This record gives sequence, C-alpha cells and structure tokens, in this order.
Amino acid sequence: MTEDGRYATQVKIVKQECPDADEGEIVQEFRRYEEEFLIPPEDALRSVVRKFQAAAGMEQTKISAPSRAEMKVDRFSELGADDRNVTIEVAVITYTPRIQMVRGEERQVAFGWIEDNPWEGSDNRERWDFKDWGEQAENLAPGSVVRLEGASVNEWNDKRSLNINRTTRVTVLREGGTPATQVSSDPVDIATASANEGYINIVARLISAKPDVIVKRDGSGELDVVRGRLGDSSGSIGFLSWVPLEHEPGTLLKIDGASVRKFRETPEINIGDRTRIEVYHDTAFASMEDLSQANKVAISDLRNGMRDIEVTVQVESWVQRSFSSEDGTERVVRSGDVIDPSGRCRLTAWCEVDPEPGDFLHLTGARVQEWQGSPDLVVDDAAQISNLSDAPWESIDPEQHWVDVDLTSMVSGGSRRGIRTSGTVVAVRPDSGIVERCPECRRVLRDGSCMEHGPQRGEEDLRLRFVIDDGVSNASLLMSKDASEAFLGVNQESVKEEIARDGRDGFVASLRQRVLAQRFSIKGRSIVDDQGAMLLADETEQIQTTAADAANDVMQRWGVVL
Amino acid sequence: MIQESARRISRQSAIRLFAQEYKEASLTEEGSGEYDPSFVITKIGAKINRALVCGVIDRMERREGDSGPNYTGYIRDPTGSHLFNVASFQPELHPDFEELMARFENGDRFLLALVGKARWFETEDGGMFTSLRAEEFTEIDRECYTNWLVETAEATLRRIDAHSTSLEADLNPAALEAAGVPHDLVEGIVLARGHYGDFDPEGYRVGILQALSMATGRTSLDEPPQPAAPTLDEATQPEAAGEQPTPEPGDAIDMIIETVRSRDAGEGVEYNDLVTALVHAGHSRESAEDAIDHARDQGEVMEPRFGFFQLVPE
Repeated sequence: MTEDGRYATQVKIVKQECPDADEGEIVQEFRRYEEEFLIPPEDALRSVVRKFQAAAGMEQTKISAPSRAEMKVDRFSELGADDRNVTIEVAVITYTPRIQMVRGEERQVAFGWIEDNPWEGSDNRERWDFKDWGEQAENLAPGSVVRLEGASVNEWNDKRSLNINRTTRVTVLREGGTPATQVSSDPVDIATASANEGYINIVARLISAKPDVIVKRDGSGELDVVRGRLGDSSGSIGFLSWVPLEHEPGTLLKIDGASVRKFRETPEINIGDRTRIEVYHDTAFASMEDLSQANKVAISDLRNGMRDIEVTVQVESWVQRSFSSEDGTERVVRSGDVIDPSGRCRLTAWCEVDPEPGDFLHLTGARVQEWQGSPDLVVDDAAQISNLSDAPWESIDPEQHWVDVDLTSMVSGGSRRGIRTSGTVVAVRPDSGIVERCPECRRVLRDGSCMEHGPQRGEEDLRLRFVIDDGVSNASLLMSKDASEAFLGVNQESVKEEIARDGRDGFVASLRQRVLAQRFSIKGRSIVDDQGAMLLADETEQIQTTAADAANDVMQRWGVVL
Repeated sequence: MIQESARRISRQSAIRLFAQEYKEASLTEEGSGEYDPSFVITKIGAKINRALVCGVIDRMERREGDSGPNYTGYIRDPTGSHLFNVASFQPELHPDFEELMARFENGDRFLLALVGKARWFETEDGGMFTSLRAEEFTEIDRECYTNWLVETAEATLRRIDAHSTSLEADLNPAALEAAGVPHDLVEGIVLARGHYGDFDPEGYRVGILQALSMATGRTSLDEPPQPAAPTLDEATQPEAAGEQPTPEPGDAIDMIIETVRSRDAGEGVEYNDLVTALVHAGHSRESAEDAIDHARDQGEVMEPRFGFFQLVPE
C-alpha cells in the first residue's frame, strides 16, 4: 500500500463530507494524527472531518450539554411531578423489600414510607411512598435519617411518590436501629498508639524512668513528674507521669486509661490520676535486651520533640560561637552539619566537644529540636557523646550525599535534609517570578505592605513555586533565587525583563509550557507539617527518559506482552 | 478507643488515567463539609478528585453565559476523549484557552496536557457524565505525551492489579491492606466494588497495550480489518439520517441486536462489551459508540439501566 493509499478509505469519507477539501491536505492531516498524536486513521476520522468542515465554514454539531441542575429541596411540597435529580433529606419510616420479576429476571425492589423535614417533630412532616430500585436496604433502615441525591418524582393516579434509582446516592445522616458498636478496650501496641491521639490501654515494658520537675508557667511553683520510655516489639514511646511511678525499669506493665498526646511532633503517653497501672505477666513479651534497640534511630527518623534517643553520625563541619545570654553571662554553643546513611541534619552541643570533620560520634540521651522547619539534634552534656574509633560505615562524601526518597515516603515522613526525590509538575503557582520582600523579615510583601511591618520599600527577589505529584502523593516545590536562576538558566535581571515585556501572566504561561506535565528530579530538603509537604530545592533537573525504555520497564514489571 | 486525629485538608494528588476509565465511571462521592473534596470513583477504584490527562485537542468551543464566557473542549487519548471545561469564574485561564482556540480554529491540532478537577452531571435518564474542570493546561510535545502514556498505563495496571487482589479478600479496608492492596487505592476499591459489583477490568487492558505499543514506537496495535467504507456518524445528522441511510450503521445495528440477543443472560449486555464486539467486527470505536446510541434512540434495543442493553420485548 502506498503512503497515500494507506488513508484512501478515510480520505474518501472526508471528501464526501467536505467536497471542497484538498485531498493532499486531508492525507497530510491523517498522517499528522497518526504520527504525531498516535491516533490511527479510523479513529481520527471524526476529528479530521470536523476540521475540514470548520475550514469550509460548514455548520458543526455543538458539544451537547445534557447537564441538568440538581434540585435541592427541604420539603416534598416543593417538588413537581417531573422533577428528577432531587436532593432531599428524609426520615425512613418503613422499608419492605420484595422480589419482583422484571423482564424475566428476579430483582429485589423495596417500597415503604418516608417523611420530609426529618429533623423536626413528626407533627410537621409530610409522608410519601417511595420505591427503591437501587437495592439500598442497608442504607434505608427504618428509623434512620438519610440524604437522597438523584432521586426522581413519580406520579401515578394523582399520587406522587419518590423513586430511589440505582444511581441515587443514599447517605445515612443518622443511623436507625441499634447504635454504632462500642469502641473496644483491648490493649493496643505502641506503633498503633503512636499513630493517633486519644485514650488507650497498653501493655508495655518500662525501659527507663527518672524523676523530673515541671515549672508552672504562672510561677506558682513546681510539679514533680516522672519521665521515661515504654517499649514493646512494635517500638517505643516516651511517657510523662503526673503521679509517682514506683516500678523498676524492666517491669512489664498493664496501663489502662492513659492518653496519647503529641508534644511538638512526637507522641507521648500521659499518665494521670485516673490511669490504672498494674504489673503484668507474659513470658513471651519482648525482654529488655530485645527492647534495648528501641531508641536507636537514624537521622531520617528524627522528629521534633523526641527525647532520650541514641544515634550515630558522621561530622561534616563544626563551628563554635559565643554569645551573651539573657542574664548577661557568656555562653558558648557548638554546632555543625552531621550525616548518616539516611540523611543529614544539624547537631547542636551545649558542652565542650570539638570533633573534626569526618569523625564519627555516638550520641545517647540526645533530644530533637526544630530549627527553621528541620529537626536538629541537641546534646547538653559531653558524657552523652563518644567519638568512635571504629567507623560504623564507609566514610560518606558529604558533597555527593543525597538520599533517594520517593514522594510518598517523603510526604508521610518527617522533615528531612539532604534528600532527592522526583515527581511531575502539576501546578505552576501564579506568584512565581519576581517578588518583593520585607527588608525586616523577608516575608513577601502584598500590595507593598508586610503583614508584620506594614508598608515597606521591598527588596526584589526571585522565586519559583510549583506542585510536584507522582499520582499518589504531592508536595509544594519551592526554589529560592539561586536555585531558580540555575533552573531557568538566566539571572534575576533577565527574568525581570521578561516579566516587564510579557507581563507576569505571560511569564507564568511560558513557564507552564516548559514544566507542566514534565518530570523532574529534585535535591534539597523537605519540611513536612500540618499544611502538607514542602520541598526546598537546591537543584532541580528534568528527567530524561525515552518513552520506549520506560514502556519496556513497565511491561517487564507487570508482565505485559504486546 | 482512639480518636482520629484532627483531619487536615491536604491537596489531592492528580490521578493518571485514560479517558475510557473515567468515562465509564458512574459513582461519585460528595464531601459532607463545605471544603471537603468530591470524587469520581471508577470501576476499578481510582478515586479521583484531580487528574492529569494528556492527548490531542479535539474540539474547542466558547459559550457566552450570563456571567461571562465559558469554554469546553475534548482531549483524546488512545481510549477515548476527556471532556473538559473552563468556567466563567476562571478568567485567568481564558486568555490561554482563547489563544489555543484561535489556533484550533485555524486548523492547527496539537497535544495538550491538562490538570483538572473531577466534575460530573447526570442526565434525566440517570446517565452519568464525567468531566474535568481545568486548573492548568499547556501544549506539550510528543515525547512528553508518550511519557504520560507509559505512566498512565502503569497507573492503570497497578489499579487493575489491586482490583483483582481485592477479589480474594473481604471487602473492608483492613482486609484489603492485609491482602496487599496499596494504601492509596483501598478506599476507592471498597467503594467501587460495593457499587459496581463484579467488574472485569480486562477491557482496560486494550488501552494499556495501545499506549505501551505507541510508546515503544508502533503507532497502533494489530489494526482491525478495515470495513469497506466506514461510516461517519456525524455526517449523518438527524435530518440526513432519514434520507440517506448508509448500509454500514445498519450492519452495526444488526450486529448490536445479535450481540445483545446472544449474550444477554438477564442482566443485559454491558456497553463496553458491545463496543468491543463492534470494534472486533471492524467498526471504529467512535462509530460503534454512535451506532449504539442510534440503536437505542430508534428503539432497536433498550437501556433499562444505564450502561446495560437488552432487546425490546416483542
């Protein structure tokens, strides 16, 4: 078949519809659909005809819009005989299922009574019959209040009723019959307890306990408390007891009626007056030796508010500085960047310790405090630090140390430094480009004014804001000036000129054309909080894969044969 | 025992899916609170609030409404078309749409990537139409498109796999997760299986194979034998249909009647199965869809329940 003959059948049809169209152009168009848009000629037919019809100024069929507004009512009296797609809240009075033969097949339908105005007393309600074609028995229990969406009115012999169709959505607003099942009082493991806040019962081994005092905020005195850790085979969790705790570390305890609260981002068990604690016996329970691993963590596990943890790090840099504290005394703080195979963070030491870059430190009893959105390690006493002579891992080159994390793990984990992830850009924020920042606090000015510092003469800055997404998870992607300039390949001045020439909308549109639906690999740090996940990029580069290779990978992964 | 910690409303991820899967969805979930997201749930359990779709632009229209212009368009992928619109209250998107539409009207065709929010409307007979309200869109090149095809093929395979895994487990979230259904798919699968009942996702494999073969360099699969002269439904406008019935829709309609007769075991024959039968007989997907509409409108077959066809009783 010749190249042109390939489309002969389709070209003939197009010619029938559009006699004036040029045959060569028609062939050209089919070839374009096939080669550029990957649509075979038989499927491209309609599109091509439309195109030539339009070119010839012929009448085209319009895209039909069968949209019909939803009809939302409170009372049956507002409904007309022909109303469909009705949304109404009703009380279910009776529900009688019945098997009906419909065109030779058995179908369950049901009928009964419903009343409108379900939240008021029954003296101000209207009662209608209904018929359930949608097998919604579970949702239409007598006594329940439900919202019906997409019901339709039926009129027969001047009597109106409501049809609940297969496409009708039934939402139970108040359960009928028996109330929902009571929550269980079975003990849960620590992993489960850590995932939520609220009252719990647990069985756990006391790993450590030491008395502590809390100074009341109002200055009215001090409170004796006990802090420590509890462990089971699923993990460990810190606790704070407001009542004396006499048990020795190692004791297995059954704790009923404690509550889990979050201190910063770290869950903690609170033990109070109403908590019952008793010694428990279970020879199969994880021993102290088993649990001694429990508070060993990696940098990627760090969460703001953690205490009493054990971690090994490699020092990347170390500095010390002194400052005057509030009471006028001179204090020295030492800090540096540290890494381990799982990532990177900062370490702050309030004690005399002077490691060299490349040293390995083993920290015990360390705590985690957040600084600029990232969890940092803090030690208060030199006894908590030991400098290891045996390297726990082959020395990591800090320059090349980026830990690959997929978007889902990044979004569901804590804030981390030194990570590399990837995703497709699905949004370009319209405030990307040149912004003006408050000279006092670096906040972006809105209409020349800072939220905090009022009207200001702003300082220009360049930043880009996108959303990346892998189909399962998503995160904001933020590029500061340096990262933006590297990404765009031009400097701030050029961006400013482009915006002056094309307007901000024009700049954003060209940015969108460059990045939307494209995949990128990003190195940087993540900040994860209640607002979601944000990625501050050091470096962003487009992922170059050929579709053919990717397709072959997919086929291999999923066992697909063409 | 344990309260759910305060729910945060986070951004919904953009689901990658082909037009066919989205088009066939008829289950929706509306958030109960004002700011709760709404979803379209597909037959294999994709729970869609937002989607990333790509394809060739196919029809673009402007309509003047009371509150300003709004726009409609179609994006075609190997499995069908996504209907999308730009609302009058999205003026920031109007210039971009106008610019593309001017090119479209001049006869230019191009590939588009679009991120949109799930929308739907119901017809009077209970039919459900899904669409996307554009958030962002841009022209893309062929390379970007083929990468999307591969990504979407994989996302669909993952859903089909999870769906079939779910058939061997009890239909509750804990059992599904224990059986290996990925966390992000659990909720959608519970809803989908509760609503659609038994569904064989085999039909979605055709689109996957097509996408993958396109990405590996072949433009299409083994093409079905060409009908002698395929018909253009669109050419047959209602008026014209009466005057000049071409033989082919007749063939298609006979085929539809025959297929329904032989396959209807009481529940009716599913729309998709009818399309597949016609495509195998050499009709294009689009002409098959139109022939089915035609057959129903002429009373050759009936659709007692949306998407299921039966013979009209004698």
